[in-house]
Amino acid sequence: MIMKRKYLLIIILVTVSDIINGQDIEENRLKISGELIADERFLIGDKQDWAWNENRFTLKFDRRITGKSKFNSEIWVRNSGLPDIIGSSDLFNKGIVDPFSMEIREANVQIYEFLTRNLDIKIGRQRIAWGTADKINPTDNLNPFDLEDILDFGRHRGSDAITASYYLNSDFFLQGVYIPYFQPANMPVGLFANALAPVTDLPEGLTLKSISDTLLMPRFNIRESSSAGVRIKGYTKGIDVSLSYVWGYDGLPVSTRNTFIPVDLTGGIDINSRLSFIRTHILGADFATSISGAGFWGEAALYVPDKKVIMTNDLSALYPLSPAPVIVDATIVDKPYVKFILGGDYNFRDGSYVNIQYLHGFFHERGKENLNDYFFIRYEKKFLNEKLMIAPVGGAFIVSNWKKVKDNSTIVYVPQISYKATDDIEISLSLAVFSGKGDNMFSSFNDYDMFMFLMKYNF
Amino acid sequence: METIIKKRLCIALVLTACVMSSLAQDAGDILKKMDEVMFSPEDMTGRMKVVMTDKNEKQEIREATILQKGTEMRLFRFTSPPSQAGIAVLSLPDDVMYLYLPAYARERRIATSAKNQNFAGTDFSYDDMESKSYYSKYTPILLNTDNDFHVIELTPKAVSDYSRIVVKINIKEFYPESMEFYDRANNKIKTAKYTFQKIGNYWNASDVLMTNLRTGRKTNMQMSDIRYDTGLTDEDFTIRKLKQ
Repeated sequence: MIMKRKYLLIIILVTVSDIINGQDIEENRLKISGELIADERFLIGDKQDWAWNENRFTLKFDRRITGKSKFNSEIWVRNSGLPDIIGSSDLFNKGIVDPFSMEIREANVQIYEFLTRNLDIKIGRQRIAWGTADKINPTDNLNPFDLEDILDFGRHRGSDAITASYYLNSDFFLQGVYIPYFQPANMPVGLFANALAPVTDLPEGLTLKSISDTLLMPRFNIRESSSAGVRIKGYTKGIDVSLSYVWGYDGLPVSTRNTFIPVDLTGGIDINSRLSFIRTHILGADFATSISGAGFWGEAALYVPDKKVIMTNDLSALYPLSPAPVIVDATIVDKPYVKFILGGDYNFRDGSYVNIQYLHGFFHERGKENLNDYFFIRYEKKFLNEKLMIAPVGGAFIVSNWKKVKDNSTIVYVPQISYKATDDIEISLSLAVFSGKGDNMFSSFNDYDMFMFLMKYNF
Repeated sequence: METIIKKRLCIALVLTACVMSSLAQDAGDILKKMDEVMFSPEDMTGRMKVVMTDKNEKQEIREATILQKGTEMRLFRFTSPPSQAGIAVLSLPDDVMYLYLPAYARERRIATSAKNQNFAGTDFSYDDMESKSYYSKYTPILLNTDNDFHVIELTPKAVSDYSRIVVKINIKEFYPESMEFYDRANNKIKTAKYTFQKIGNYWNASDVLMTNLRTGRKTNMQMSDIRYDTGLTDEDFTIRKLKQ
């Protein structure tokens, strides 16, 4: 909240100072632009429940302060979610009747040629987007994931950070990033709130009654809560390449201790979980090129946990007569593992476009044995002077076990049609159909086939 | 008698070959001169306004700033409409192209097949927008010369959207006055009308009207605030600048 106020104050100061100064030079004027999004989704099944409601008003303030410095910000003001009214007293609370939120996605100042001709710096809340793949980037690990809308899985929040980019020559640059405190990922909401919840396998005869947890955040000091990254990126022999290293955290917590507590005589139990964030070293590499007109890209990230991650299950309370504590350990991650993505795209002369990607290891998967395979495809074609876009083929095929593909795979089908009513208003209709089995996140969405409406207005 | 006919035939063939060769050479020279007029500045900066008018007279407008160095380095940055403002395209030698989308805060290397599509939804193809010399891309044949124009037919040397282009070149200043574009089935599909203005030592295509004969849509590209030879360097055409 204090941070929000701080950034709001900066934005207001820049706006006011601009009005007072009455800058006549167009280049240096405060530029206000933005977007209005109406995003509505409902389930196709019998109940036709609303799955998503979001009216997002994005405001962007940009100002070139001097020829070599720039201010940039983005604010979301939203009515999102559905009224969660339980009692009549909730009707007195406007925040419940009409859920509202505001967040500062970015607010930063960039200074070019800082101290030396080759150095640019960026200070403040910012998105540090690494990687060459389309929306899904295993090497993009500095900003926390914004998983609120699980179907928009490439989305990240901005981090309060300082970034320095040193340009070695016109083809290569070295970038260093420092993020002073750790911000975890925010979890999915609404229908998909449990999408990332771990499946708890209980011993036979036990029934889970409730789960409670305690989340251990890293201590907020420089040593424990900081993250940092460095990368070198450039262009050589027709290929864009980069190598990176991140000293950060896995933004999703893991359960490191579960205490099982019996609550009745019929085998009912409560579980108290202790959750922690894993300090992780991530070595990344990516490339992008174009061969015979087609674009190709790839990314790989080696995740090295700082220490072996073990989940301790304390069953002592279930066996009160046992002379020693009954502890069962399960290894979550003990060895480094690699996630990677390969992809390509092509624009055809008839205005159609195809994009294919293969991913090994989704953002929430950890450990070599737990990484699933994802095949993404999208084919779209534009008509009517590019006003109408139809994407009859779009979606993913996910395999969690190649030995039994039939029982361990999911198909996600997302066709889309969109129309530009004017240069700045676009209306889009799409479907999301999930069909699958097995241990992958999307197979748990089987009951959530939905129709999606999106209107976007830019100003 | 037979020998005389053979001799005359040979002479006629040689003369025809000479005339054809001379015409081709003339056409080549004319095209080179047109290239010189169009591509001689070291660098150029300016603003571009594109007005698209459909057959119902409905208009759409795109605006961009443009930086160009030589014939192979170019940076477009859209300033309007709001849905495209901030999007930038950097073109470099060897068909290397980058797209910067502010919403994603990252530059993206794009497939050269992007050139298969129209430029920013206009009736100009990426091919039309390229600054590469016509002489390097096309084989010219002189069709006609009158008091005002040379008329040249250009046949692409490599795979192209067009089977041929007929260009009318100003006989005095050697800039193109108009072009007619034919598809691979030899149907006339587009026409372009150029208006050139002299800015300093250079001729500038300040206004180009492209008419799509299939759709009836017209795209009018207007250049303003043009400045030549301002000393742009290779560093102005880097990812660093693309993201600024």
